[in-house]
Amino acid sequence: MVSVPDARSFGRGKLAAWFQRSEAARGYALMSPALIVLLIGIAVPLIILIAMSLWTRDGFGFDMTPTIANYQRAATEPIFGTLLTRSFMISGLATFITVLLCYPMAYYVAFHVHRNKMLWIVLMTLPFWTSYLLRVFAWRVILGYEGVINSAFLSAGWIEAPLEFLLYSQTAVVITLAHAWAAFAILPLYVSLEKIDKSLLEAATDLGDGPFTRFMRITLPLSMPGVIAASFLIFIPTTGDYITPALLGGPDGVMIGNLIQLQFGPVNNWPMGAALSIVLMAWIAALALVFLFITRKAKDHLA
Amino acid sequence: MDVIDQLNAVKTGKLSRRAFQKSLLGFGIGMMTTPFVASRAAAQSGQGTLFTWGGYDVPEFHTNYEAANGALPNFAVFGGAEDALTRMRSGFIVDVAHPCHTDMVRWSQTGLFQPIDTTRLSNWGDVMPELVALEGNQAEDGRPWMVPFDWGGTSVTYRTDLVEIEGEESWDILWDERYAGRIGMLASGGDAWWCAAIKAGVPFDQIASEMAFEKTSAALRQQRPLVRVYTDDTTTLGQALSSGEMVAAMTWNSTAVELQYEGIPVRFAQPKEGALTWVCGLMIHTEAPNLDRAYEIIDSMLSVEAGEYMIGAYGYGHSNAKSFEGFTDEELQALGLSANPRDILDAGHFSIPQEQEWESRMNETYELIKAGF
Repeated sequence: MVSVPDARSFGRGKLAAWFQRSEAARGYALMSPALIVLLIGIAVPLIILIAMSLWTRDGFGFDMTPTIANYQRAATEPIFGTLLTRSFMISGLATFITVLLCYPMAYYVAFHVHRNKMLWIVLMTLPFWTSYLLRVFAWRVILGYEGVINSAFLSAGWIEAPLEFLLYSQTAVVITLAHAWAAFAILPLYVSLEKIDKSLLEAATDLGDGPFTRFMRITLPLSMPGVIAASFLIFIPTTGDYITPALLGGPDGVMIGNLIQLQFGPVNNWPMGAALSIVLMAWIAALALVFLFITRKAKDHLA
Repeated sequence: MDVIDQLNAVKTGKLSRRAFQKSLLGFGIGMMTTPFVASRAAAQSGQGTLFTWGGYDVPEFHTNYEAANGALPNFAVFGGAEDALTRMRSGFIVDVAHPCHTDMVRWSQTGLFQPIDTTRLSNWGDVMPELVALEGNQAEDGRPWMVPFDWGGTSVTYRTDLVEIEGEESWDILWDERYAGRIGMLASGGDAWWCAAIKAGVPFDQIASEMAFEKTSAALRQQRPLVRVYTDDTTTLGQALSSGEMVAAMTWNSTAVELQYEGIPVRFAQPKEGALTWVCGLMIHTEAPNLDRAYEIIDSMLSVEAGEYMIGAYGYGHSNAKSFEGFTDEELQALGLSANPRDILDAGHFSIPQEQEWESRMNETYELIKAGF
């Protein structure tokens, strides 16, 4: 009996064969869950945001004629530039302080703890198991007018009246951000320090380097990937941070994130809020590229 | 694995990485699913949702509702009415919302609200008619858009021991350079802008004019360096006043009443220029998922029980005339209230509903000023 394969199963077989042969197709199939999430969760909202930033507010609705007026406002009106610069200053400072404080902690666990390292890491990140909002409120209690610091200093007799600059200031925002994001610095720093080959350090000592030179020439350059990762992980989200300046910043601690929230809230100008979000994103991308470029140059210089 | 076993393992240092990660996984799944369980439970109970100002989400305002349904309504809280409207316009559906008269006209224009069938409210007969007959509150067939609920004033709460008053009380306390850095302001333009207009001497019927805009914003700009914080959170203002961090703040009646109960020497000023007076009420969403519950929420809030609590504990006026019967004239006077709302509302400046365009411009300008521009 001669059997003729029907067209359908033939087609399916061909498709399966193509799928088997093509590495790209298999790769995309494997990635498809993540790709779909990325598409729905990031690409589509981003396109909506870009489209909306070209519209104009019109009472309760939008005038959808494309215009770049929102971007012109963002470039010319002083409030936007000032708040953007302030956001970068505050979050840059917070990033610097966080990395500086977390480096010794990660260093200690990587080099001087030999048993139960996992437990140490868990203990270090323990405060970060509570919600972000709770940590911010905790800092309000610590920094407040009748807070922990002020009452301690008052009872010790070091100050006459409570220190008012502690709360509702840019200082308060920097302190809180530096603490709230510490876990995001400790982990990448620890991983990159842990990976360093200890024999390199011994070699440096044998060749006559003191502890400081050894750190500068071996440990620091080799842990740079961790430092860069930590800086990015903290700088990018903190620039647009909203809740910390809202609760602790006071009138002079307002950041760009608060302004964007206001556009979508009481000011009721969604297109302007969208344009500001895009501007913020573009600035962060540009700064990140510059930062990457500088570190790459520095690395080449060292090598 | 037992929790005790694990703790022992940690103590003796024998917790394996795998066991540790397993418990982390369990913990994570537990944390992730808890909110789902909770929200499903809430959804099943089918209670109505009330979208209101912070401070109204206490059981005392909803005793009748709780007695009838065995649970409180679900609460969603906002800090400013404009914020609340934007949230509802972007698709947040509630049963009952709590705007003020100034917002009511703009809110009803959005088509998000339905006229209220007053025959379904058992307490309607006791509601003071002068609070219902507000400008713009007439929908079709004599039905109102908004059922009045609370009324009161916005003024200055100040520490009598820390602020020196020369002559009469005045809005000038909040503009006094001697108290720089120790003054608190409400963050929502719905209060602050109108109060600044009173201070700047702008008559409310001309508030939409260009000149009024300039005068009011100039007053607010002049005040900006003196302000410690702009917030809508009455707890923040109350605590700051009680600790002496602030000596004076723009507040509603309730802050002063609460602080007085705690024995803090404060007064709710009756400024010579007049206070800002307001009436707030309840509106029903067009797509209210639990319409019956919505009417129950409103009826319960109009009850005498809710009213007596509000007058006694918050110092706000209530819309039910019978709520005042349990208080003597002296008690009411001490709270800055009267059984006749017109006495209070006409003594101050009653804010007038404005166009959406004005409201957006006002909010934008106030935000600029707060940020220092």
